[in-house]
Amino acid sequence: MAVVRRNILTDQTARDDYVRGILLLKQEVGRHTTRQFGIAGPDTPVRTYDLFVIWHGKTMTTPIPPHGNPMVRNAAHRGPIFLPWHRVMLGLLEANLQRVLHKPDFALPYWDWSADGDLGSPADAAIFGHLGGDGDPVTTGPFAYHRTDPATFTVRIESDPSGMRLVQTSRGLRRSFAQPPPFGWRTLPTGAQVKGALDFAPPPGAAPADRYDVRDFNASSEGFRNRLEGWLPKDPSQPVHLHNQVHVWIGGDMGPATSPNDPLFYLHHCNVDRIWQGWLKRYGPLYAPDMTAPAATYLGERIDDPIVSPLGTVTSGPAATPRSVLDLSAVYTYDALP
Amino acid sequence: MDHTVDPTDLTAAAAPDSLGNYLAGLPAPPMDHEHGPAKSVRTAEYQGHRIVITTTYEITVDDRPLTAGLDVDDSGMLSCHALPAYQFVSAVDAVRVLINSYPDAFRGGH
Repeated sequence: MAVVRRNILTDQTARDDYVRGILLLKQEVGRHTTRQFGIAGPDTPVRTYDLFVIWHGKTMTTPIPPHGNPMVRNAAHRGPIFLPWHRVMLGLLEANLQRVLHKPDFALPYWDWSADGDLGSPADAAIFGHLGGDGDPVTTGPFAYHRTDPATFTVRIESDPSGMRLVQTSRGLRRSFAQPPPFGWRTLPTGAQVKGALDFAPPPGAAPADRYDVRDFNASSEGFRNRLEGWLPKDPSQPVHLHNQVHVWIGGDMGPATSPNDPLFYLHHCNVDRIWQGWLKRYGPLYAPDMTAPAATYLGERIDDPIVSPLGTVTSGPAATPRSVLDLSAVYTYDALP
Repeated sequence: MDHTVDPTDLTAAAAPDSLGNYLAGLPAPPMDHEHGPAKSVRTAEYQGHRIVITTTYEITVDDRPLTAGLDVDDSGMLSCHALPAYQFVSAVDAVRVLINSYPDAFRGGH
């Protein structure tokens, strides 16, 4: 039966379970070690939580198309695959939380950051009372760093300044809310800005799926996806929007390719996924590009291309594709859609 | 091709061994841009003409070369691979934010 994802501020059980589950995944040691993932330094066992950090970091270096430039378009960002890839990632994290909590009905909660944006983006918003505030390291909440506590929440994997290599570290979580540009951004997105992305309409006569994305399917292309990802509108006075704006507003570990180091990442992306689900409900299961887009340029972005994930790669079932994740109502639903 | 992801497939793929095996099997990332300055190529067609604009960034911090993946898009906005949610109007700003975001990498001089 499908689980129901709820607002973390209004569902205390989901909130408590989320924190407990994250801390359990942070402690769970699997059989894989850093060397197996090409991470330099001592060969160290990798915690289950950190597998997701590595996955996100490695996907960022996977170009689309293969042999392309991952800075232009990668297997999870800067193109139409942004929303489907993160939907799969959330699904896999949710399944792990259900497993360690022994609660098959656990559903990932979401953080409706636009509600805080509408309140003026307070750095002491209610969510930070539950999940800790900012700092280097974070010293409040369940993910605070206590140097002498071996079970403390520890960041162990990060990228280097090239963004192409993962390295080991051992330190507390970093957050730096609402820094001035270029280091951050002073405000969170508002409800009106979310509505603006949902209302985006392509020019009259355009194909229905143009509402989602159009050629060249990158960080400059018009459509709902690029507005929600946060590259549009191109405006030097406000360089990033919506999804990107939330990463930049939180700052610290939410900035680099290893942003899943911060448990806020999943609550943020669950809200991004909820907004996409609201869009799908409004307009139907639209996605672009279809399979007529040339593979030489768009392999990995098209509706029936495999999503870069373990599904169908190390498991016996079929690979996940954008088409296969447009309706996951058998897996989860949301308590409310924008 | 026309299928929906099955919940049991999601659960199987989520198992730490499955995810770990998958990650261990991924190819090493392309490191082409690690050698030499960061290069960004923009192309366009206009009135039958083919335009190619190559932008090269040669950056040092504390006199040491900085390998920073910088890319300019068609609008002229600048992206930095190590700061994937950011967009800049200035390469100087991008490097300032890199130093701010990777303090351990720049500690005691780059």
